[in-house]
Formats: sequence, C-alpha cells, structure tokens
Amino acid sequence: MPERNNEFGKYGARGIRGHEAVARRLDALAGFVATPVTARRGLLARLHYLTRSEHARQAARDAGLTVTDDTLKKWLRGRRNPSKRNLERIETAYRTVRRHNVARYLLARLNREGRGTRVEFHPLNQSQVDRPRQRAVEYRTLNVRRWDRIVEAWAEDDERALDDAWVSEAVVDLGSQWGQYEYVTNIGFAA
Amino acid sequence: MTDFDAIDALLAGAKPEVPLPPVEERRALREHLNLSRAQVAQVLGVSPSTVGGWESGRDPGGEVREKYAYFLDGARARRQAQAAEEAAITVQDAGSPAEAEDVETASVAPVGDGGGDGDADEVEVLTSPQPCVLCGRPARHQVAGFPQHLDPADCGRTAATPPARAAEPEGGRPDIEPDPEPERPASRKPTPESVAVRPVGRRMQAASDTPDLIGQAVAAALAQHQGDVDTATAALVKRAIPDAMALLDATRRGGRYDVVAHPWIPDILRKQSARGADQIWEARPKWFRPQLPPGNHEVTALDINGAYLSALKTHLPIGQLEHSTGPGHDRRRAGVHLITPPGWEHEDVLPNPIGNRDEPGPLWVTEPTLRLLLRLSGPKYGLCDPPEIHESFTSGATEGLLEKFRVALKDARDRAIVDGDEVTLEYVKAMYSKFVSTMGESNYNRELYRPDWMHLIRSQAFANLWMKAYKAYDEGLTVVRAMGTDELHVIGDWRGVFAEGRGVTEVKVKDTYTVGSEENQER
Repeated sequence: MPERNNEFGKYGARGIRGHEAVARRLDALAGFVATPVTARRGLLARLHYLTRSEHARQAARDAGLTVTDDTLKKWLRGRRNPSKRNLERIETAYRTVRRHNVARYLLARLNREGRGTRVEFHPLNQSQVDRPRQRAVEYRTLNVRRWDRIVEAWAEDDERALDDAWVSEAVVDLGSQWGQYEYVTNIGFAA
Repeated sequence: MTDFDAIDALLAGAKPEVPLPPVEERRALREHLNLSRAQVAQVLGVSPSTVGGWESGRDPGGEVREKYAYFLDGARARRQAQAAEEAAITVQDAGSPAEAEDVETASVAPVGDGGGDGDADEVEVLTSPQPCVLCGRPARHQVAGFPQHLDPADCGRTAATPPARAAEPEGGRPDIEPDPEPERPASRKPTPESVAVRPVGRRMQAASDTPDLIGQAVAAALAQHQGDVDTATAALVKRAIPDAMALLDATRRGGRYDVVAHPWIPDILRKQSARGADQIWEARPKWFRPQLPPGNHEVTALDINGAYLSALKTHLPIGQLEHSTGPGHDRRRAGVHLITPPGWEHEDVLPNPIGNRDEPGPLWVTEPTLRLLLRLSGPKYGLCDPPEIHESFTSGATEGLLEKFRVALKDARDRAIVDGDEVTLEYVKAMYSKFVSTMGESNYNRELYRPDWMHLIRSQAFANLWMKAYKAYDEGLTVVRAMGTDELHVIGDWRGVFAEGRGVTEVKVKDTYTVGSEENQER
C-alpha cells in the first residue's frame, strides 16, 4: 500500500506502530497477573491458572507447556523450582491461554452488538523533527465496528495478521491520509 | 528638501492631547448605551481588553485617543438627550392618555424621525404591533430598532401572560420550575413566568426540551422499585459511574473540545505497581495548629459541602501532556510540574499550601497547587517566595471542560435539597465522587483514563480548602485544623465569615467541642 511509511523516524519523528499500541491496549484490558513470573507469588498465580481444570491443562499443553503432571505438582508444592527456560514457557503459555480465554468476552464488549467502540488516535511525536519538515497531524477519533479479525490476530499473537487487520479494518477508515496514523503515540479505547 | 516638508507637516499636525472624561465615567458612558467592549473596540480598531484597560486607569494616545474622545463625547451627548426625553415622556404620560399619545406621535413619525429633532433615541411608531423585547407582548413603538412599550407600567402589567408560556408543554415537570427559595438572594433567579432556555448547537432550546438525565434516572429507579427509597438509592448508586459518563457525553455535545479519554500518559503519572501510587503530590492538607492561646476555646468543625463537585471547575489539560523544561509558567496550559516549593513561615497559624511534606527537595505538583503557590507569592498575598519550576508536562487547558457537567450536577443537588429528595442527593453525590475517583487508571471506569485530571481535581479541592482556611484567618478567626478535603476547625464567630447551609457555597457544622488548659477548666 502506498500510504505505508518506508523510513519512519528518518527526520526524528517518534512513535510506535498502530497495531503494537492496539496489542498493548488489549493486553491491558485482558489484565494479566501483574507480579512477574520470577517471583514465587507470580509463578503460583500462573500455575494455578493453568492447572485449574482438565480443560486448562490441555490448553496449557497446547500452548507449549509440555511437562508431566508430576513436575507441575512439585512446582506447585515448592519442592522443585522451574528452570529458566521453563519459566519462559510458563509465561508464554499463561499469556496465550489467558488471551484465548478472554478473547470471546473482549470481542463481545468491543463489538457491542454492532455498535462498535470509539477509538482515539493520538498522532506521532514530532517534537524532534525540524520545523520545516513538521506536518499538521491531528488527534482523530473513529468508531470501529468490526473487531473480529483484530481480536483473533491478537489472541493468536500473530503480529503480521494483527497489523493487516488493524490497517484494513480500522485505520483506512480515517480517509485518504490514513498513512499518517500508521505510527502513533497511543491508541486509546475502552472495553 | 522633502525631509523638511515632512517635519513641517509633523509640527503642524502636532497638537495637545484631547481631554478624556475621568476613568470611572468612561465605563458608565459605554454601559449606558448597552454597548459591549468588543463593539467599541471594533470601531476604534483596538482589542476589547485595551478598551477595558482604558476604563480601568490607562489612557490611550495618539490618533486612537481622539477617536475614543469622540466616542465618549457622543455617548455623553446621547445620555443627556435621553435623560431629557425620559423626563418629557413621563410628563406627557401623566398629562394625556396613551391613545392620544400614540396618535400624536404617529402623525409625526412616518415623515421621518431622523429629521434631527434632537431626539437621540429614534422612537418610531410601528404600523403593526410587534412583540416587546422586554415583556413579549405586542408593542406599538420601537426605540432604536427594538420594539418595546414606552410606558414601563404597560410593560409590567402585560408581562403576567407572556405568549411563550403557551408554547410550553402541558404539565411541565416541576423540577424545571424555579424553586421558591425565600432565604437566598435571587439575583439570577428567573421570574416565575420566564422560560428557562439553554444553547443547543447554534440555536436556543427550552430547558424542558433538553433531557434531564438525572431526574429521569431517579424517576425510573423509583418506579422500578415501587417507590422503595432504600433499594432505589442502592440501585442508582451502583450505576453511578456509567451514568456519570453518559451525563458527561450529553453535556459535551456541541462543545468546543472533545474529551480526550485515553492519551499517552507520562511515567510519573503511572502507578509503580498495582496498589502503589504515582509520583504526583496532591497537597492534601493535614495540618493542626501547634499551640493555642491560654484559656478555654470553643472549636467548631466545619464541613465544606460538595468539595469535589466544586473542584470540577479547574484548569484541565485538554489533550496529551507535552514535556517542557524551564522556569516559566504558561497560564493557558495546565498539567503537572516539578517544582521546588518555597519555604513556609506561617506554619503556626496557617497550613502549608503544599500540605505536610516531610521530604525536602523537588516534587511533582499539579496545576491548582502551583497556581495557589504563585498566587500566594504574588504582591496581593506576599506569604511566600515563588516556587521554582524545573520541568512540566502540560497541555492547553480550559476551565470549561467539565463546567456544564458540574452545573447539571449542582442544579440537581440544589433541587434535591430544596425538595428534600434524599434519593437524588445520594445519586448525585455518588456520581461526582465516583467520577473523580475512577477517572484515573481504575478498572471501574474504563471510559476515561485521565489520572492527570483526577489529581488536578483533587488538588483543586485541597486548594479551595486552603483558601477557605486563609479566609477564616484573614477575617480574624483562629484556624485550628485543616484536614482532608473538606474539614476545617475554627475558633471564633465563623457565621460572620461563612454562610451556613447545604449549598456548595455554604458550610455545615460537623462538630463543636471545647479545648483548653486544665487549670482554666477548673476555675
């Protein structure tokens, strides 16, 4: 697409890709366990979440936590501690399972039976750009009605699909200047 | 030798300054003609604030001074002519019946009243009656283009049945009717016959046509719970946050600025952990007077009504906060500032405006605290040195952002107090207090993520309390304690300083107690 930016930041503009901001916001709305997995409390919270039911165990296995039930039990009782690599696996499995579990409800809240959610686009930061090269990029808002592809891509943690979905479902509706909003400082919405 | 010609011309053109009427008369002259500063400023080719300056002490110079003098002369001439004419009309009215006067003037007017009959106000007789600008009834005269009754008695008598009243829907809700409040001075209170209107978009609309969200919600809740006050109140309090957001949306419709709900937030405004605090110092007062003079003292604990509701009127940053460094303060922007607070030498009589901070050194304060410090360091108060501003996160600010929202809540609160409607009172209280407490990063209100606003509004409440404490001190009361958002303990006749009541401008008594030394109590 011709509106995409090629060398973003060449003249000092700062910002993040829109879909990254969306993923951050969706993560914030999903509400992960705040304590890091390296702390005992954070580890236990994640393990409890992943072992609450047989369904949860299966989901954890599908998400890459392929350890035996015996090991899990020992981790939970504190007789043994997971290795560094297993800590990473626990973390990724937890985030994946949590995203999958939350996605349905988040999607319903964002679509709001077709009424959609108001999204704020906060433009990129041009304070470090030379004055002649600065452009008037305004704060914009938009009602995004279809969140299905966006939430699906986020739940799958598929960055490319999320980028595509975000641009084609939401950003292009800003009009012919949507390329100015490929990079933003923040994307704000509630759910 | 054109240079010398120019000098000659300049010398010839120079003349003494035209005398102007005294300062206090200038404004009176303009206001007598019902002209706004902007109108005068436009014809003189200056800004309205300049005209304001001329009316409050400054003097114009040069060409514009002559123009201004010409305007004031003309205004004075018109005022004199008008006074003379009014005297003539009253004499005429007393002498002849109104009908005869109509005929008499009608015979003259069509020829052209502008014939320079010395009549500064062009009184014209209308062939068809038009509604009077004062009372709305058909009038047969117009003065300077405004149809009106010449006889004030005529105008007052007919005002009893304005036609606009008929247009109002039958059985208008009682809550839009002005409440009879004999105890309060009714300066802006409409007369019982007038129709309350408010701007909607580019037009005006009767207040009865704009939906009263609070009244509707209360009525619906009471109907749903069959008039059970307790359950209805509980249900209303439970939905106070979404209702407050809906009310905010309704009051922002057609507004100049959008409410930016999810801006980028600098790290100082982010909580360090889930239960931690961010780095903003809200300047909550927690002060008590260390020593009292000997003897027994009757202390009154006063409670400021609706402190957070009043604090919604504050300079709020509209958009995303932008970083800046340097000592200046821009009055058009608001946000949070890293300052080194000035020393405070009045700790034994007045609370420190930045609250009781134990740590020395710079701290992040909000706009109301900074403005309070700047005000107190100014020539009017002179209580401390100006604070030193190191860096700021600010955005363009307005005081009007939540103003309609605040007024809607305040009106509902006032009505509820007059009607003794506890349900609405609780509902309104829950709306504004929860709105303020959840507008930050709270999960109970995800519509609005403005921790900066939350801090600013709270700080404004504390600054308001500080100013109340100062007022008490200034009027000769002894301030004993200032704490929280709304509590002030004073010794002395506080009724001369604060009005007692339940309105937002009034205070109520929370407690009275005696404090004093032992031997004095035994005596």
